[in-house]
Amino acid sequence: MSTRDEILRAIQENPLPVKSHPGDFQAYVHSEDPMGDFQASLKTVGAQIFFCKNGHEAQIALDGQYPSMVRYTSQEVVTSGLDLEDVEVLEIQGEFGVGENGAIWLRDDHLPHRVAPFICQHLVIYIRKSTLVGTMHEAYDRLEGSYADFGFFLSGPSKTADIEQSLVIGAHGARSLTVLVMDN
Amino acid sequence: MLNHAEASEQFIQDAERTTWHDETLWFVRSKRDKASKVIPEWEDLRDHASQIKDHVLANLGQYLIEFEAKAKANGVHVHWAKDAEEHNQIVYGLVAKHGSKALVKSKSMLTEECHLNSFLTKKGVEVVDTDLGERIVQFRDEVPSHIVLPAIHLKKEDVGETFHQHLGTPKGNKDPQFLTEAARQHLRGYFLAADVAITGVNFAVAETGEFVVCTNEGNADMGAHLAKVHIACMGIEKIIPRRKDLGVFLRLLARSATGQLITTYSSHFAKPREGQEMHIVLVDNGRTRQLARPEFRNSLKCIRCAACFNTCPVYRRSGGHSYHQPVAGPIGSILAPNFDKKSNVDLPFASTLCGSCSNVCPVKINIHEQLWFWRQDLMKEGLAPAGKSLSMKGMAWILSHPKIYRLAGAMGRFVVKNLPFLVNNRLNPWAKQREMPEAPKESFQTWYQSRKS
Repeated sequence: MSTRDEILRAIQENPLPVKSHPGDFQAYVHSEDPMGDFQASLKTVGAQIFFCKNGHEAQIALDGQYPSMVRYTSQEVVTSGLDLEDVEVLEIQGEFGVGENGAIWLRDDHLPHRVAPFICQHLVIYIRKSTLVGTMHEAYDRLEGSYADFGFFLSGPSKTADIEQSLVIGAHGARSLTVLVMDN
Repeated sequence: MLNHAEASEQFIQDAERTTWHDETLWFVRSKRDKASKVIPEWEDLRDHASQIKDHVLANLGQYLIEFEAKAKANGVHVHWAKDAEEHNQIVYGLVAKHGSKALVKSKSMLTEECHLNSFLTKKGVEVVDTDLGERIVQFRDEVPSHIVLPAIHLKKEDVGETFHQHLGTPKGNKDPQFLTEAARQHLRGYFLAADVAITGVNFAVAETGEFVVCTNEGNADMGAHLAKVHIACMGIEKIIPRRKDLGVFLRLLARSATGQLITTYSSHFAKPREGQEMHIVLVDNGRTRQLARPEFRNSLKCIRCAACFNTCPVYRRSGGHSYHQPVAGPIGSILAPNFDKKSNVDLPFASTLCGSCSNVCPVKINIHEQLWFWRQDLMKEGLAPAGKSLSMKGMAWILSHPKIYRLAGAMGRFVVKNLPFLVNNRLNPWAKQREMPEAPKESFQTWYQSRKS
């Protein structure tokens, strides 16, 4: 008997009482101001946020944030992640944001490579104002039926507190995160 | 091997450090309180999460089959391992097949449980732990003392010294920012060179075959997205039915663990990237045995947030290494006897049964009750320390003989009052860090009878 069948048999040998799945979580409180929450959450997780009416305003914000740094804006697919080793600032498009925790959903078909938002030194994400949701429940409602080969929620720059609980920004991933909220 | 009490005794030798450890973990617990109270529906969320996990345990076989089918359809290789040995062999087989001599690994309590690192090292494979805390303890040839904060037993001076020895940082430099930067530079080299990356799994979704890995540092992703081979190792209890259930668990996990709103990265791996091989190893290692024990079954609901560690008055003052298990703290103490009762007989006793662990658990495991159930089980099997069973028997005898009980009470009051040195000495473990209380003039019974008349 294969290990697989052995494990499955061991489970089935002890049938447990029926417990039904509780279904979707309905009891969450709807936020009246997801954008306000989002802004506060980004502050908590150590990210910068700018509201921009158009691309021109976005450029001004980024020039201020990352003066004299090279910004990588191409979405063209690169075969090896190692080619992105020296990227200073990466600009990418986020799908939507979540108010309660500042998370932004990103998917790999909008990235030059899966490792791109991790290997770059600094990260810039554009999201549309209208995409914001309040909670993670609404986030997964939105993701229903939409499948990415690889997708992830990102909230803030990479961080660690493994040395005496002192918060340090910039562990292995991006050292800073700038979120540009575009009018549409 | 020292038992929990003996190891704790060594841990508390340094009073200042013990206090620091205690207060630091309590601070993390307070952050958890703050982060949870922001959510008005927090208690409903815990209930919901607990019910989902109950449902999973009642249908585990079916969900594993569904997960396997979906993952395979996604182009992921699925392996099954009945124990640690088989798990390690599977991982080594994959590493050997690709001719790798070094690999990067992000945090995975399962691989700690299976002692994968030492297994691979013996086979000549260099394992580089990439979580900062894990790298620190790896340099020191130690094991993590906490499942979320692996190096919480160390001070920055210790880390500075360790990095000085292993990374050549200036002696005496103990600045966390500087040391973290040194680790970043050091580990980047390994990320760029590694052919194989191993990660843990926080949640595996039966509905889609995806698995989710949560980190703050980004180390799991740096490894997995650069390596040609990604091996994800998980216990079979990590399955959840639907993707939507992640909404519940991701809200609970980081808030319970560190008081964060969510981890920085919550990565959903569905398919390997172009040209990459992705493997999942599903491990039993005693889980089906625990599943068959009704009173201990729901310890398998654990999502490894460590909230029970941070709140536990015993953990905070005894340190993770005293538990001599990869998973320490209250949850570790109810998981460990399932692996081996004899060598873990001390752990269910390493608790005051105050119940704080159960109160903070995001999936509502009755941890303190299970500690008590294990005590009964271990006593019944005659595994408890001789002194413990003897004193319990003696106590039971005294309590069932009223005359002797009254006499013992009177003697106790007399001794404490007139001959205190007989109890306040080193032979009495209770008097090690405390004075005996002042003896009352009369017993409750005498007082009650005098009132009646």
